[in-house]
Amino acid sequence: MAKSTIKLRTKDKDGSIQVKALITHPMDTGLRRKKNGDKIPAHYITEVMIEANGESIMMANWTGSISKNPFISLNYAGAKGDKVKLSWKDNMDKSDSLEKTVK
Amino acid sequence: MKRRSFMKTAIVASATGAAITSGLISSNAVFAASHEKDFTKAKSLDEAMKLMGVTDVAESEMIKIKAPEIAENGAVVPVGITSEIEGTTEIVALISNNPTPYAAKYTIGAKAKAAVKSRFKMAKTTDVVAIVKANDKFYTAKSNIKVTKGGCGG
Repeated sequence: MAKSTIKLRTKDKDGSIQVKALITHPMDTGLRRKKNGDKIPAHYITEVMIEANGESIMMANWTGSISKNPFISLNYAGAKGDKVKLSWKDNMDKSDSLEKTVK
Repeated sequence: MKRRSFMKTAIVASATGAAITSGLISSNAVFAASHEKDFTKAKSLDEAMKLMGVTDVAESEMIKIKAPEIAENGAVVPVGITSEIEGTTEIVALISNNPTPYAAKYTIGAKAKAAVKSRFKMAKTTDVVAIVKANDKFYTAKSNIKVTKGGCGG
């Protein structure tokens, strides 16, 4: 399998866990055009789920207004050893996920 | 591929339609299912708010938008939204001058802090409007961002 599209970093900050993630994705709005005038079809992430130990922490519904290669960061009350999982889904039914243990 | 997705939508649509008429699904569930398509269709801020069912919003100083005053590149504008209102369950980011203002919705879980950071695209100088849902009430705050170079193509 190719390299994961997700880069996930977790950090313990006095009882609250900081989660930072970068996703490699074109995030096309459907408004842009190629040089020859053809429209580039919309292709963007619609759903990002962040879970810790199987419990949902945050769900993000995104649109084409999110930048290319999106970044997301958040904090939650957790502890070291938590399994943080991020998964995304786009409007072309592609998806990816990555799990990481908080150190 | 196109035909397949069309068929899928058609089947789903007819199934939900049948379910509504037979009263199987409450209108709320249908609303949630169709959320995304409807919202992204909204071409103006008012329209998006209307679709979301936001009727009365109170301006709140407890919502903080952290964003640059001037963004040189509209394709990547980092915006952080923090809500200090207790019981915050949803944060919606709207970018008023974009072709589709509805940008993102964050559903906050019980353990998470009501603070998110993402990077947005902005077509031109615009207001970023944050709408926070807490205890079934809506609160709002906005921040103006000057964009020198648009990020939505065109």
